[in-house]
Amino acid sequence: MQKFFSSRKLVIVIVCLIISFGLMTVSVAIRNKRSTPPLIQQFGNDIVGFADRVVAVPMNGIQHGFVSTKNLLNTYQENQRLKSKVDQLAQTQVKDQTLERENKQLKRQLNVGNTLTGYQKINAAVITRTPSSWASQVIINKGQAAGIKKDMPVIAGPGLIGTIAEVNKTNSKVVLVSNTAENSNRFAIQIVGSDSKVVNGIITSYDSQANRIVMGNITSKAKLTKGDRVSTSGLGGVIPKGIYVGTVAKIAEDDYGLAKKVYIKPAANLNDIEVVSVAVRD
Amino acid sequence: MKRRIPIAVFFVVGQFVAFFLDGSITQLLSGTLFKYPNTMVPCLTMMWLILAAFFGNSKKLHLTAWAAIVGFIFDMYYTGILGVYVFIFPLVVYICQSLYQMLPPSFLSGFLVYFLGITVLMSLGFIANAFIGQAPASASQFLVNTLAPTLALNLVFLAVSYFPVEALYRTHR
Repeated sequence: MQKFFSSRKLVIVIVCLIISFGLMTVSVAIRNKRSTPPLIQQFGNDIVGFADRVVAVPMNGIQHGFVSTKNLLNTYQENQRLKSKVDQLAQTQVKDQTLERENKQLKRQLNVGNTLTGYQKINAAVITRTPSSWASQVIINKGQAAGIKKDMPVIAGPGLIGTIAEVNKTNSKVVLVSNTAENSNRFAIQIVGSDSKVVNGIITSYDSQANRIVMGNITSKAKLTKGDRVSTSGLGGVIPKGIYVGTVAKIAEDDYGLAKKVYIKPAANLNDIEVVSVAVRD
Repeated sequence: MKRRIPIAVFFVVGQFVAFFLDGSITQLLSGTLFKYPNTMVPCLTMMWLILAAFFGNSKKLHLTAWAAIVGFIFDMYYTGILGVYVFIFPLVVYICQSLYQMLPPSFLSGFLVYFLGITVLMSLGFIANAFIGQAPASASQFLVNTLAPTLALNLVFLAVSYFPVEALYRTHR
């Protein structure tokens, strides 16, 4: 017994384990509570971020080359398809503009200031992605200096992809909705059913096997159908209203048969993100 | 007369390039690597460390210290959760080095040791993350959908880079 405890290696291993668990607990706690990581970590991340651009920029350049060639080959078919949609789009756009103007006027008349829908965008490029199978995180090239704050929603292409988890001076980490961690952000979302009844709820988990966002604990009796659009509801916090999330893919009962569980197909492709915009509420 | 660049410089520069390539490859090929439901994770950082343990002089290169430093940067920059890879990286390097010295130095034994190294790296990383609720706590899903594809990908990387890296260390002895 004496020899067992005097073994130097064992002591080192135990000390390392204790330090490891201590650090892990502290950093998870910081991530959940504080708006920015400690200054030293921020400083280190900024430096590494700068160095990373030396490797990431040429690599992204190579990818752009490949993507452009691929796009060139598909151009003809795509052009045919898009032409048919353009007329429709112009019409919608004009209507949208008119409605927006009308909305603004009405708001002014009623003395309503900014509502939940108003937001501005900060555009950023993705530098790199965390090489890990469960931490679905990307690192973007804008940080505190550009006005980004923790928990802001991030949009790529058609819809919502995640929230800001950690802000440094010149880069920040975005946790995607596909992150399955227990403490990852839960969005307040809503579904407008076919009979224009609104179902409110939050994203409760993510089904990584099928690439579906899961919205749970729905007790509303409103009828939902496959293909209904899902958007953020703007309730509770910094996320503006009306950011497109995806469409309803499947409606199921939860484990106890009391509430409904809705599987949502995300609008944005979570595995092909190059440019993102961070939404800042007015 | 031209002075030769010492191997330590190659090692350190290559280390950081491998580190950043990890992230870049994950980002660029994310459509392929993260095809549902499987996920493949490139571990080039670890590969560079293990290859240095195979061919280089670990005392002269300060291999364990570098493994810890790179592990710390990995935690800080990529995952944001400190205290995971800072200990796992040196441990895996130590295990791989001890095993490789017991076996006859050949590609096959390198392959075998690397296989074990990546398995230990991924499993310990999974356990640590499962403890703090960052990873889904389903071990069978991890084994089938993460570990197996990751091993396949990284063994391909090893097969490609084993001989060039060996030549590099041989010529700069």
